[in-house]
Amino acid sequence: MEFLLRYLWDILQGFIVTVEVTLFGAFAGLALGTLLALGDLYGGRVVSILIGAYTEFFRGSPIIVQLFFFYFSIPSLLETTFDAFAVGLVVFALNSAAYQKGYIKGAIAVISEDQMMAALSLGLSKIKAIFYVILPQALRLVIPAWSNEFCSLTKSTAALLVIGVKDLTSVGLRISSWHFRYVETFLVVAIIYLAWVTVVTKIADEVYERVKIPGIEISA
Amino acid sequence: MTEIVMECKNLWKIYKDIVAVRDVSLQIREGEIKLIFGPSGSGKSTLLRCLAMLTTPTKGDVFLRGECLTKPGVDLNKARARIGFVFQHIYLFHHLTALGNVELALRHVLKLPKDEARKRAMSALEEVKMEKWANYYPAQLSGGQQQRVGIARALARNPDIILLDEPTSALDPELTGEVIDTLRDLAKKGTTMLIVSHEMPFAQEVADEMIFFDEGTIVETGTPEHFFTNPSTERAKKFMMRLIKRTRRE
Amino acid sequence: MDALQQLALILNGVTSTITVSIVSFFIGIFVGLPLSFLRVYGTKSAQILIDAFEKFFRGVPELVLLLMFYFGVGLYFPFPFKNVFFTANFVLGLRSAANQSQIFRGAIRGIGDEQMMAAMSLGLSKVKSVLYVMLPQVIIYSTPGLGSEYALLIKDSSYAYLIGVVDIMAYAVWIRKATMDTFTPYVISAFLYILLTFPIATFLDRWGSRKKKQLGLERR
Ligand SMILES: Nc1ncnc2c1ncn2[C@@H]1O[C@H](COP(=O)(O)OP(=O)(O)OP(=O)(O)O)[C@@H](O)[C@H]1O
Ligand SMILES: [Mg+2]
Repeated sequence: MEFLLRYLWDILQGFIVTVEVTLFGAFAGLALGTLLALGDLYGGRVVSILIGAYTEFFRGSPIIVQLFFFYFSIPSLLETTFDAFAVGLVVFALNSAAYQKGYIKGAIAVISEDQMMAALSLGLSKIKAIFYVILPQALRLVIPAWSNEFCSLTKSTAALLVIGVKDLTSVGLRISSWHFRYVETFLVVAIIYLAWVTVVTKIADEVYERVKIPGIEISA
Repeated sequence: MTEIVMECKNLWKIYKDIVAVRDVSLQIREGEIKLIFGPSGSGKSTLLRCLAMLTTPTKGDVFLRGECLTKPGVDLNKARARIGFVFQHIYLFHHLTALGNVELALRHVLKLPKDEARKRAMSALEEVKMEKWANYYPAQLSGGQQQRVGIARALARNPDIILLDEPTSALDPELTGEVIDTLRDLAKKGTTMLIVSHEMPFAQEVADEMIFFDEGTIVETGTPEHFFTNPSTERAKKFMMRLIKRTRRE
Repeated sequence: MDALQQLALILNGVTSTITVSIVSFFIGIFVGLPLSFLRVYGTKSAQILIDAFEKFFRGVPELVLLLMFYFGVGLYFPFPFKNVFFTANFVLGLRSAANQSQIFRGAIRGIGDEQMMAAMSLGLSKVKSVLYVMLPQVIIYSTPGLGSEYALLIKDSSYAYLIGVVDIMAYAVWIRKATMDTFTPYVISAFLYILLTFPIATFLDRWGSRKKKQLGLERR
């Protein structure tokens, strides 16, 4: 496997791209997913239908289709071109938001009505109740689901190679095709993915343990 | 004297740091009904589960008609086929109808042909007066009805003995009556039973012997009269007082 | 080429998409189901092995696995790994087995030890107890989860086009390259994927949840 040492730098750069996309996707997805969940719950019928369509597109179609769509279709409609890396960031954020919306909505449902009523009874406005009472609980509850979502998100970022972004997988593919050493290279790539996912989920678990509210849980 | 059906000698069950059953020996003879009672957490369920070999005792021996079940190499499935067990929380199989629950062991343990299994399951259901509900799923039955099916499931294969672990304590008071009636019928037929129960009037009526159990061990044994008039240990006295008070309230 | 002609062409890929998904799904059941029971009732060493298997197949990107087995392992074992169809089913099937093992394990936990003990109390052997008491309930309990797993497989089967399976995705890319139409083929394929996932996944979810409630399978 020594030949891989020569490419340490390339592998590291590929890894950094993967890290950037997964972290951005997971956190931007959380922010957007929260907005979508609130819109779906409190935004009225039309908003709810629109959000449903959005979710169905991003959850129902393969990530490759979504990447192609944002890399080829949309820019050609606008008669321009997009940077592949930027497309990656946007697509994974939008995609992850569709999934996280579901989890956050589920978490809000667990807490929901009594808490809302209690908050309103204090004279808080609905918006304030959401921000001071509902969301702080929901976001704590949703950490384990977020951590699962982070795993699947990380795995799907390997698809970035179809639009030519030089992430970990595509760097691995290039190196191994020069040497015909696919097994070793991809094993190393696989281990890096596993390590990355493990580190982030461990941190998420740790955070969850610190902030969780005793007695309230979501069964997965 | 009649034959000893089930027996245990110096039985212990130890979980990590809890001694749940402490050096218990007892015998149940053909046609006998013994009743175990005692405070919550005293190890009654654990004792019954050990006797049915649903958990392995840590030390000591269990015998079924003289055959030692705690030796290595015993076919425990065969042994369990001869021991009926009724659970406190019933544990009917959710995916099977009342009839299906009773039939299961007849088909796959006794390996009876389909129609014979059905016939025997139906007659077991008749014994607990549940034949009308044969095709209902557990979720469609009340707690008392479920427990009667649980009893039918345990007795359908004519076990040598039936162990009942607080068969009524998970039920609402108004539902315990029907289950107690069923048990009374079984008692009249001479079924050998070891029952954990705190239904005192019932105990007085059917039990040949009562066993007061506390902190994992037998504290005192005697006839119902003995316990209702003057138990010899202080612990049993106190516990009886509380039980009788509770029964009056109900 | 107008949209209808494109649709007619892309429809040719539907068979491959469905076949890969369904075959993988059943590999997933037939491997995942025994694994889940072994994981719960098996020996310590079996548990460790199964955990490692699950970690690997759930944590490494499907695309990396496909490339590794097709190019890498296929170098040493051209038969059967150079057969794209085999490798696609092999990788996605085992990935699904790892997922399904977890789904079934959740079901075994949810149904609880009590059912197993009640079965053993009748004199049924461990194997028979699993077969007649646990298995039917586990399957019903898992149906909603299996719905999502099926949808995931339909979507992830699109990775297989990268090693040469001629599925919906492959036709869409081919049409884009041939016609320079960057929009229609992707819209059509997105639509087809959603059509393949949404109804079946929703049906399984609804049916499973209703059945679970009817039978009282959720523990109080
Ligand atoms: N599987 C187990 N692991 C560890 N400890 C256990 C287990 N089962 C029972 N125990 C412990 O053994 C003791 C006896 O429990 P057991 O359920 O037999 O009591 P019980 O007399 O049946 O009580 P109750 O009247 O509440 O049903 C308890 O302290 C209990 O916590
Ligand atoms: Mg008990």
